Amino acid sequence: MSELGRARKIPLWLLWSVATIVLWGTWGFVSKIASAGMDAYINQLLYTAGLLPLLIFVAWTVRRARLNEASDKRRKGVFWAFLTGILGGVGNLAFFQALVKGGKASVVAPVTALFPMVTVLLALVFLGERLGKVQWLGLMLAFVAIYLLSA
Amino acid sequence: MHTWLIYAAVALVLWGVTGVTQKLSTNSISSERSFLWFCWAMVALSSVVLFVVHPDWQLSRLVVLCSIAGGALNGLGAWTSFRALESGGKASIVISLISLYPLLTVVLAVLLLGERLTGMQMAGALVAIVAAILLSLEATPAAQV
Repeated sequence: MSELGRARKIPLWLLWSVATIVLWGTWGFVSKIASAGMDAYINQLLYTAGLLPLLIFVAWTVRRARLNEASDKRRKGVFWAFLTGILGGVGNLAFFQALVKGGKASVVAPVTALFPMVTVLLALVFLGERLGKVQWLGLMLAFVAIYLLSA
Repeated sequence: MHTWLIYAAVALVLWGVTGVTQKLSTNSISSERSFLWFCWAMVALSSVVLFVVHPDWQLSRLVVLCSIAGGALNGLGAWTSFRALESGGKASIVISLISLYPLLTVVLAVLLLGERLTGMQMAGALVAIVAAILLSLEATPAAQV
């Protein structure tokens, strides 16, 4: 923990977590305002423009860290990361389109935030992972939530 | 079925798949490098969009600012979530806590955009957040961010 975190008696991970809630929570809100005046494609283009300063910063930190990952491992990791970006970006387009098509931010955000249910189902089906009772309950509630939100 | 719901479901499925691909990526490389290539993929996708779709750039300043801010907010949020996990937070607790983010969207949209939810939708939003938290409590390796 840094000096700052210790001085505040609040664990640093908690501060970063709350920051994440604020940043992601606000994203859905500003996306709805943007969707009132542009289509999903332009939204994705400008979204990417907003991402660029962070891209430059992260590129700098990665360069500075001089990580020595084995090249085959690195290629594999980069492949999956790139695929994550493409799928995430197309997911963004669908998210923006849901807002353009009249979905309320207050409904679309909770529905799309249920994406871990798909991750868990994929892990169950393709990776042969077993779910705990709590996860099964979460999965069931996720379906109930989608039903209620779509009413 | 509402059109918006179909699009929301597509986003949900695609983002759900990224839960697996991201894990496969960070099994091999650091989360920073993984995030960097995630961003490059966004740039690549947007370049394709720019050439295939011929966007109409007659836009008001407000919506342009909101959209650009959206990219910055979402990207920074991903970055702060990595920081939360790397600064000693237990994955299941951090991810459960972060799952609360749609609650803020609901509050902002109701207070500032004047959106109104039916009783069913209000209940649905709360159940959705509980569901997301439960799903992350016994996070399987693939389900962790």
